[in-house]
Amino acid sequence: MSQEIKPGEVLLELEDVSLSFGGVRAIKNVGFNIKRGEIRAIIGPNGAGKTSMLNVINGFYHPQEGTITYKGVHRKNMRPYVAATQGIARTFQNVALFKGMSTLDNIMSGRTLKMHRNFLWQMLYYGPARREEMQHRERVEHVIDFLEIAHIRRTPVGRLPYGLQKRVELARALAMEPELLLLDEPMAGMNLEEKEDMSRYILEVNDEFGMTIALIEHDISVVMDLSDRIVVLDHGEKIADGTPAEVSADQDVIDAYLGVAH
Amino acid sequence: METLYNIFIDPFVQMFGAPDFLMQVLWEGFVSGTLYALIALGFVLIFKASGVFNFAQGIMVVFAALTLVGLYSLGMPAYVALVLTIGVMGLLAVSVERLVMRKLVNQPDIILFMATIGLTYFLIGLGEFIFGGEPKKMIADELGLPGGSMDFEVFGGVLILENRDIAAAVIAAVLVAALWFFFSKTRIGRALRAVADDHQAALSVGISLNQIWAIVWFAAGIVALATGILWGAKSEVSFALQVVALKALPVLILGGFTSIPGAIVGGMIIGLGEKLFEIYWGGLMGGGVESWFAYVIALIFLLFRPQGLFGEKIIERI
Amino acid sequence: MFYRETGQYKTSYEADSSIFPILQDRIGIALMLIVAFVVIPLAGNDFFLSSIMIPFLIFALAAIGLNILTGYTGQISLGTGAFMGVGAYACYKLTTYFPDVNIVLLILCSGFFSAFIGMLFGLPSLRIKGFYLIVTTLAAQFFLEWAFIRVGWLYNYNDSGAIEVPERTGFGLVLTGPSATPTTRYMVVLCLVVAMTWVASNLIRGRIGRSWMMIRDMDIAAELMGVRPLYAKLSAFAVSSFYTGVAGAMMVFFWLGAAEVESFDVNESFSILFMVILGGLGSLMGSFMGAAFIWILPVLLRLIPESFGIDISVATLEHINFMIVGALIIFFLIVEPHGLARLWKIAKEKLRTWPFPYA
Repeated sequence: MSQEIKPGEVLLELEDVSLSFGGVRAIKNVGFNIKRGEIRAIIGPNGAGKTSMLNVINGFYHPQEGTITYKGVHRKNMRPYVAATQGIARTFQNVALFKGMSTLDNIMSGRTLKMHRNFLWQMLYYGPARREEMQHRERVEHVIDFLEIAHIRRTPVGRLPYGLQKRVELARALAMEPELLLLDEPMAGMNLEEKEDMSRYILEVNDEFGMTIALIEHDISVVMDLSDRIVVLDHGEKIADGTPAEVSADQDVIDAYLGVAH
Repeated sequence: METLYNIFIDPFVQMFGAPDFLMQVLWEGFVSGTLYALIALGFVLIFKASGVFNFAQGIMVVFAALTLVGLYSLGMPAYVALVLTIGVMGLLAVSVERLVMRKLVNQPDIILFMATIGLTYFLIGLGEFIFGGEPKKMIADELGLPGGSMDFEVFGGVLILENRDIAAAVIAAVLVAALWFFFSKTRIGRALRAVADDHQAALSVGISLNQIWAIVWFAAGIVALATGILWGAKSEVSFALQVVALKALPVLILGGFTSIPGAIVGGMIIGLGEKLFEIYWGGLMGGGVESWFAYVIALIFLLFRPQGLFGEKIIERI
Repeated sequence: MFYRETGQYKTSYEADSSIFPILQDRIGIALMLIVAFVVIPLAGNDFFLSSIMIPFLIFALAAIGLNILTGYTGQISLGTGAFMGVGAYACYKLTTYFPDVNIVLLILCSGFFSAFIGMLFGLPSLRIKGFYLIVTTLAAQFFLEWAFIRVGWLYNYNDSGAIEVPERTGFGLVLTGPSATPTTRYMVVLCLVVAMTWVASNLIRGRIGRSWMMIRDMDIAAELMGVRPLYAKLSAFAVSSFYTGVAGAMMVFFWLGAAEVESFDVNESFSILFMVILGGLGSLMGSFMGAAFIWILPVLLRLIPESFGIDISVATLEHINFMIVGALIIFFLIVEPHGLARLWKIAKEKLRTWPFPYA
């Protein structure tokens, strides 16, 4: 069904996407693509439609117009569940962890789609079901080691400080072993040190696992350092698209960020 | 074939064959609809102001009515007992706010809801402890509610309207008008709507949440008292009412949790619907369908319009 | 002092994720099982077995059922009583048609009927949430109550309208009916409850349990992680109703001996809900604690004044019981929303570090 995409080829292509709520148009005819293996940033002032864009990509919002091509397959929209099965994972602007569960269980939840043992085995928690659980536990422990959160394994996530919650959320997304990772403001509300840690993790994920990343971030210096290409949105419209150097030289972008005398 | 006839044709034949009887059925439905709407109104008041789904509204109706009858039986004049009962409801409102609501600020809705179930059980226990569990007669005549009935000739038959039912409808209408006036024209009403819109913002302009909550619980208590008197006058004051009062929930589903007109319209739909269904279709199923009709209608309705009759479509954000 | 995990190292993920990772807990549970399986049947008199232990275990099972739905999946239900009823009536019909089949098997089968009905009434949960769901479960409650009265076939057109438990055998013993001894009935109930609790704990710690909790904590995120809300919610409804249905069937067949619709009314739903709230939402242990509390409190209330020689009428005691339970519900929600189970956990944590305040 979906074809294999090699590094450097287009993984996700959005064409002419428009999204509105009632009379409000959140996204107006936006089109851009994400290539396999790159870090793609979406930036823009508040209310530019960045989060809505991610919501469209992973099927939470269904655009009224436009098409999305993911791994060579056209689609108008899809259910979030289908997006998950197709290898799209994400983190959220306001941490969306499972508050009642421990760090370990939260990250294990990322393995849901990879686990297949049926109800009967689960009931007995024996043989294949237990072996499966343990295999996945091992994968999860790798992620835990990688993100250095072993000490909070058993802590309910509700009790963790914000910076760690963000990290657990990243861990949960990584546990899904996605092909496309969407990060919605992964560094919001973090101090400098935490931001540096997070940047390091993002780069490592991209380098070592070759994971494609699309991220929204407000800290322009972080974005300029991290990303390969940047798309700039303002009031739901695309105003620039290119490498960090190109974008930072773009007059429309400067106007959008600094304001312009009318 | 005969089943289909019995379901789709015969009831209507009966309806139009005896329009006077149909009128009578509709009137009965209207009256019980009024009472459902009144209970739902109590729910709406509290839900609007605090987002609390007050499961205890039904028992508050019983509790208010019991208090009134109990005070009267101590030998007080009816009107003194009425005033004192209003006082008791005020006391209840303040204690609920102090002892329950204030302690549970910022808890998830479901916790608050379960707390009101706890309150329900506490009030059932307290009410039975003080007043005993046996049904009592409402002091309707003593309070000046009219007795007797008015008969109208319609379609060659007689339509009997109990004066007490007419009084119930009138009192309910006056109550709704008074509440509407209170909430849209007075300073407290404005504050209340501010709280309903956004707790934090209301706090920041100097509105006392605690005070507002006590006031809405008191208002809901007065609505409960009125409901209790009217309902008690129709049947009797007993704890069985508590289960009937649960029917306010489907009413709210139809009308929406925050809309006063919605509560009234919802009450009417349920009241009229269940009477018609019981009389004309109930026989096909062995009768007694009134006990679940309201819930099943609400369930079916939810499947097609989850936001209620007047609600807007919910946009989920993340 | 004695409750320490120091020196107990885990060398495999398996050991780390067992139900009771701490040695002392394993000893504790073993002791409890020995008491339940050996000491109580030997030492307990008939009253203790049939009026305290049997109902306690059955209610605990029903509470586990509701806890799976409400505590683990976050779908509140007021239809528990009716789902118990479905189990009971289904079992009654089954044993009418298959009088020679082992009654324990039939009781388990009747769970499938309530699971089916539960799924049916759980369908709306896919579109609606929270308070709205309460109404659909109430619809189930009142509709089923009505059906238990009006559909004569369900109680074999008895004049009394009640289902009366016939004498049935299994494993070569008389298990139900008047001639079944309390000890036999207790042992059967105990075995079933222990086995089903074990199964529930397995489900909860695996993928299925996690997907329930994901739905509970944040349904939108759960779907983005690849949980299908349809499967997760309906499986929770099915498993939950299976448990409550089996509990209902056991209630009639091993405890009450006969039942009318009143045994499955909305008050039954409430009292199971209270067991779950007081015991602890999302805790199997809490389901037992809550059931013990709600069931044994009235017994204690009756015994305490008696022992002081004070005579209080049964009705008054019941009213006091209502007030205490209502007030405790509010108290627990304010102080410790996770109920007795959490208090127990806190006590254990304190014990772990005793005599020092911190580890």
